[in-house]
Amino acid sequence: MTSISMINPGQSQRTLAIGKAIRKNLSFFFVVPALVLFLVFVLYPIIYIFRASLYEWNGLSAGTFIRLNNYIQLITSDRGFHLALRNSFYWTFLTIFPQMFLGFILAYILNSRIIGKNIFRMIFYMPAIISPIVIGIVWERIYNPFGGLLADVGRVTGLAFLQQSYVSDPKLAIFSCIAVNVWQWTGFSMLLYLAGLQGLSEEVLDAAAVDGANLLQKIRHVVWPMLRHVHLTLILLGVIGTLQTFALIFVLTKGGPNHASEMLPTYIFQNAFQLSQMGYASAISVVLLLLALILSLFQVVVLGARFSLHE
Amino acid sequence: MTIKKVLIKLVPLMVIASMLLIACGPGQVTTPITTEQPPAQGLVTVTFRSWSPIVETTTKMIEAFEANNPDVKVEATIFNYPEYIVDLKTRAASGTMADIVGLEPGALTQEYRDYLLPLQDCAEKTWGANWKDKFYPIGIDQARLGNPSGDESIYGLPALDQTINLWYNVPLFEEANLEPPKTYDEMLKVAEYFNGKGIAPLMVGASDGWLRRDVYMQLIHNIAPGKIYEAEVGNAKFTDPEFVEAMKWWKRLFDDKIIQEGALGLSAYPGSMELIEAGKAAMFPMGAWWQQQATRPNPPPLSKGFVGYAPFRFPDVTGKGSPPEDLLGGIDVMLGISKNSKNADAACRVLTDFIAGAGAQALIDTINDLPAVKGLNPSSFETQHQEEVWKTFTEDWMPKVKYARQLRDAAVKQALEDALAAVAAGEITPEQAMENVQKAWTPPK
Repeated sequence: MTSISMINPGQSQRTLAIGKAIRKNLSFFFVVPALVLFLVFVLYPIIYIFRASLYEWNGLSAGTFIRLNNYIQLITSDRGFHLALRNSFYWTFLTIFPQMFLGFILAYILNSRIIGKNIFRMIFYMPAIISPIVIGIVWERIYNPFGGLLADVGRVTGLAFLQQSYVSDPKLAIFSCIAVNVWQWTGFSMLLYLAGLQGLSEEVLDAAAVDGANLLQKIRHVVWPMLRHVHLTLILLGVIGTLQTFALIFVLTKGGPNHASEMLPTYIFQNAFQLSQMGYASAISVVLLLLALILSLFQVVVLGARFSLHE
Repeated sequence: MTIKKVLIKLVPLMVIASMLLIACGPGQVTTPITTEQPPAQGLVTVTFRSWSPIVETTTKMIEAFEANNPDVKVEATIFNYPEYIVDLKTRAASGTMADIVGLEPGALTQEYRDYLLPLQDCAEKTWGANWKDKFYPIGIDQARLGNPSGDESIYGLPALDQTINLWYNVPLFEEANLEPPKTYDEMLKVAEYFNGKGIAPLMVGASDGWLRRDVYMQLIHNIAPGKIYEAEVGNAKFTDPEFVEAMKWWKRLFDDKIIQEGALGLSAYPGSMELIEAGKAAMFPMGAWWQQQATRPNPPPLSKGFVGYAPFRFPDVTGKGSPPEDLLGGIDVMLGISKNSKNADAACRVLTDFIAGAGAQALIDTINDLPAVKGLNPSSFETQHQEEVWKTFTEDWMPKVKYARQLRDAAVKQALEDALAAVAAGEITPEQAMENVQKAWTPPK
């Protein structure tokens, strides 16, 4: 009996079948690390936070199960939460679109042949790389009606409207913060638009010129539509930025006066760590998560998901 | 088996695994682990985490301690306060608290009470049976603030004490030939003099809730001493006329232009601090800790040798003609030892040294705030005025501190701070404001 004859034909078939199955599903094993990371860092925290939101819990002691009471309180009687939601709405629309518009104008100008364009590009982009903490401290000085920069300029020039209580007036506070955010991030929009503009086909622009399009027509009908992927990228990043807004508000207004400039992340922080209402803060976090989900779906379904700079 | 089938089977498993992990969530008590102390062998490391004292001061304290205790090494991490409370909570929840932690009396200490070692034994072992006599009495009282009925344990010992009061700019007052005001009318006269001269009569960095609360605490102390602590335990209501009256006085400070324009948008630090040191404030509310301005690197002229400032009590608003003799204040920072510390004995040595030993002397030499123990003074003063101010606090005022600056309930504290901002901004009336505070109140557990 030879060694060959010792191999069971059935066993051989099974071995081959296993090998085939492994080869067929090999790609799955490459997915496992990502799945594990997703489980640990995304799924687990989400379920944990949702469960915590059903408890009255300070983050340390045993919690008391209170069903949906945290959500009921949020919806029915929490003025701070309502203001934070309102401000998120303001922030989304009043930062993203002005930043895009101003960034586009700057990019268009600085994409032409003007002297010192690299220096201007650097100056406009610089705020984007400065810490929001530093920006908050500096703008506190600029906004202060008692000896602040804007108030002093107003006093010297007679432009009385500059002497406002920018961040101490509840009606103005959130808009003053939004203005700082627009100032900080317009340069970033400019940079992305510059990259987009430099990727545009010269032939298309020349063709538009040959067809007799003036500057505004060229921008409106050729350049702007061709930068769709940049617009989508900026909207995506803007929405993410809105939902993460914390440092600037925390330094500039601390969410005040009386929650007038509160954002969801600052309100979560206050409830979780200053008031030790971890269960309640978890409920706000769940709302924030839902908001992120809705906005993401809106973007994907309505605007499409082509975010890349290279379509 | 296709990938789809694998995923269909795997994803529910992962969800179930997540759910099992979640079982360790809020429904479970995360009891701190108590570890037996290992036998002392060689160098013992004690960890210390806090927001106060600042890094430079803490380094000096550690050097002073380690010079006398070569068998113990102290590893300190100092944070900003907001970062510290996040660190403290996450470490307590995960059983990795530092051996020694910085605490505030009231709400903060009570939250971590189950994670802290009672310190009476440590204190008695170090300082003897009459150890409490070493401390200013208000510090010992406040160390137990918010303890459940019958629990007389002390979970944190005061390291630094403080008063809250007003300060005035000495050169500005001398130049104007003014005296620090004792009544509201005198305060109005000061305001009349300085308004329009680019000087804030009373500079308040009121975007910080704690500073708004400090001013209100002095007003209510003026009108009804001690009543706010009665309201805290349910023996009075925050809607009582005295509280509303104090809130009305707070509003008047803005309406009468005593507090500067835009105060609600100015931070206490660094916003108001810079303006005060630049000589733009005639008066300002801070506490005894303001003395530390003199010991910061390269102090501006007003702060150098502390020649530019002098403290005074919040003026009387009741018509009595002078403010009350007693003051508000108490513990600035206290230190506790973690229940799961592996080096509780060494931690006790460090803690007591930081309070009343060589470390404490290093701390007080920076004039960071007032000592928690009596008779501890800086080794030297830059000017005679600085020494006089120090003596005012330690010899005259600290023994008269009768009431706490802090409130025991974080929700009431926050509601009061919000109410003060809303009233100052003209959003709600003082009556509505105090109703909001009362709504936030819950009976003490």
